[in-house]
Amino acid sequence: MPDFNTSGPIPTISGMHERRDRMERETHRHTLEQIEGEGFPREITLQPGVSVIGRAPEALIHLPSKRVSRQHALLRVRGTDCVIADNESDNGIYLNGVKIHSAVLRDGDVIGVGDSQFRYREG
Amino acid sequence: MPVFVKFWGTRGSIPTPASWTRVYGGNTPCVEVRFPDAVFICDAGSGIRELGKDLLTRQPPPAELHLLITHTHWDHIQGFPFFAPVYLQTMPIHVYGQQPNDDTTYRLLSGQMSSSYFPVSFKDLGGSIVADHLLAGGMDIAGVRVRSFPLNHPGGCVGYSFEKDGRKVVYATDNELELQPGELFPDLDGTGPLRVLPEDLLHVAHNADMLIMDAQYDDKEYATRRKWGHSSCLSVTDLAIQANVRNLALFHHDPESTDRSIDEKVQSCRRRAQRHGARLTISAAREGVEFKF
Repeated sequence: MPDFNTSGPIPTISGMHERRDRMERETHRHTLEQIEGEGFPREITLQPGVSVIGRAPEALIHLPSKRVSRQHALLRVRGTDCVIADNESDNGIYLNGVKIHSAVLRDGDVIGVGDSQFRYREG
Repeated sequence: MPVFVKFWGTRGSIPTPASWTRVYGGNTPCVEVRFPDAVFICDAGSGIRELGKDLLTRQPPPAELHLLITHTHWDHIQGFPFFAPVYLQTMPIHVYGQQPNDDTTYRLLSGQMSSSYFPVSFKDLGGSIVADHLLAGGMDIAGVRVRSFPLNHPGGCVGYSFEKDGRKVVYATDNELELQPGELFPDLDGTGPLRVLPEDLLHVAHNADMLIMDAQYDDKEYATRRKWGHSSCLSVTDLAIQANVRNLALFHHDPESTDRSIDEKVQSCRRRAQRHGARLTISAAREGVEFKF
């Protein structure tokens, strides 16, 4: 017989959803694998918040090429999404070979910045 | 001054959330064309819901919105009741008809909000929704030249072009480019000659920075779906080549199309453009992707 006289809050459906969503956010990994360019090979795990790809030494993903602007692109991890956006760079960013301004990334996408290429992995 | 184009919904016919639509997206049509002083929204498919949420976070918020509906088939209007700005007084929405006193679009948008379909009636929306019209198919809105043009779709449809400071974006969904007698079809390896296409559309698309066009099928699929009002991606590529378009976005993906099959369409269109020596960038419209021209 289940004991229905337990004390404490009764779990609600919305509460269970909130916990599941939080767990998914906390365990969802966003990774960039460098597949071409200076620094290859390397793997960078992106943390929640904003990371910079650029020529500036303090950029999380530092690319010394002159074809890369100091703060070339921003990667924003929010929940289960990772968004890349061009940060008014001189040479732009590429998604699977096409020049774009910004994009929500999907597993397997290839990002081009200057002479470097990165494969995005999620999950 | 730049123009931004962002895809919020790219799927035709019906929302299609699935593991196999995760890349290109499952929401029905909604495209934002944004100039520094004007936000244009092309169609109110289910993708408009996320756009509405995003608009509420922008600083400064847009002073007003311009909603252009291509036609009132469900997949192009179903998101409207879920578009957050319709509940706000602070962000007026202009909904455009094609001529003075043409309130067809406004009437059909509101009609889908009768109590049989939706719990909030149109008259109870808190927002400021204005029925407007394009003068003789074109007018200047916040310094942007906006034109409409007819498309080939059962029940009728219009496309829109946006021009300012030498930048041009053309939105032409739900359109069938019909084959001419004697044309090679189906052109399964894409090696045939360029197809003959309507002069009026070639003129509209001429030198566009981006052409967003219905390319729901490949030739093989189109063979069994003629007169349904949608095009083969090869015909669309031929139009973009002949109109000297710089960027082509294949749009209105079939609900049965997987991410992989859309990728295959893109590859076959790129091969065709390459064979014809065109300097044309081809991609498939994808939710969450934004371009800047």
